[in-house]
Amino acid sequence: MDISDLLASVVAPPTPSHQRLSDLQSLTRSFVAERTCPELLPYPSALLDRVLEAIREQIETIEEHAGDADPRTNFRMIILQTELERVRFLVRGLVRGRIAKIDAHPLHILNLYTTSQPTLLSPSEHKYLTTHQALLSSHFSASFLSQFPAALQRLDDTTGGVSMVDKPDEDRAVFVRCLRDVGQVYVEGTGTRFEMRRGDVSVVRWSAIRAWVLGGDVELI
Amino acid sequence: MYGEIGNKLVQDAKRTQSLAHLPRYRTEMVRAVTREVRDLDKDVGTILEPFAGSFNPSTEPATACALLVNHLCMRRNKRCLLAYHRVRSDKLEEMCWGGVDVLERQQQQQTSKPGGEGATTLGSDGNSSSLSPEEEEYVRQYSDLLAAYKGQWTDIDLTGSLEPPKDLFIDVRVLKDAGEIQTEYGSITLTKNSQFYVRQGDVERLIAQGYLQRLG
Repeated sequence: MDISDLLASVVAPPTPSHQRLSDLQSLTRSFVAERTCPELLPYPSALLDRVLEAIREQIETIEEHAGDADPRTNFRMIILQTELERVRFLVRGLVRGRIAKIDAHPLHILNLYTTSQPTLLSPSEHKYLTTHQALLSSHFSASFLSQFPAALQRLDDTTGGVSMVDKPDEDRAVFVRCLRDVGQVYVEGTGTRFEMRRGDVSVVRWSAIRAWVLGGDVELI
Repeated sequence: MYGEIGNKLVQDAKRTQSLAHLPRYRTEMVRAVTREVRDLDKDVGTILEPFAGSFNPSTEPATACALLVNHLCMRRNKRCLLAYHRVRSDKLEEMCWGGVDVLERQQQQQTSKPGGEGATTLGSDGNSSSLSPEEEEYVRQYSDLLAAYKGQWTDIDLTGSLEPPKDLFIDVRVLKDAGEIQTEYGSITLTKNSQFYVRQGDVERLIAQGYLQRLG
């Protein structure tokens, strides 16, 4: 038995591995994007459904072979479990990153979700957001807000020159890599214009590059 | 002076951000700020009363200025209170995610206090919890919410480590007796000071709770 035998047994069974591979790639990509982007990105529901399904299958495979003492399958199991842990880490990081952003700007995100972007949140995230917000406001009102004059009890007040609804900083700089030629990029407010070609890496304001990132021409790194 | 107590609250919140535990809830200060807001609101009412709804700021600049100051102070106090409570609730949420049982720890602190040793961690007021009753309620409900959200991710432990996994198996040392745990390679009895080579996923919770220490 040489190393190629081993590798062959690891690679089998020949399922639609091409799809799997690109899923892993897009999972990694959305993990990185979600963690570097100042805004919440649309929920990748199709991708996550496929990934969760794959995780479930892998767990089943591992459980089937759990009692096996054969060193060959044992080695394979270790590889499978390591991979499983890594994929789990990616999904966990992605979901936690999203929750952190939802917690940071709840009212702003809820507003976007209900008015213009219904794909922004998954149903369970929406439920989490609304429940959490209800909890917070009842906590605040029980602690002190209920004793305030009625005009000052709102949590989404915009009078007095200061909006209470916190927004993410859309002008924050992000690192991006260009995947397809996008041509001229114009940074609003600065008068800067520059050309982006495939393979270029730049630091740009998120608000200037957002459209191309969402379109998939540019990736966050 | 207007807003002074609010300022103290914000300073307290700022300090809280860099502390590992939660300092005592400033019930008196919160109450004082709330009272200040109500008094200011009453003042605004008395100032406006003689005008009977037909107040024109440009003819009465002095009164208008007083009103503006009162309004700004109220708003500022509100912001201070919100910031104070938000910092604390964020901290509590963080503990919930980290698997710390906040309420249980509170009780422990309270019971250990009469002994004298445990009293060093908190402020001068020895026999009160560092959470307000509202905050305790909030923690309870937030844990429920978190559990409900986590329950939808059956195959992934959301509260697990956010460090990228390097090895499937790790060396751990047992710091406190943790009883017997089940793994797919059989059961292990975790007795104090013993050392094991186990799968990371099996013991992550115990590490977070301080039963085990990771080696190497």
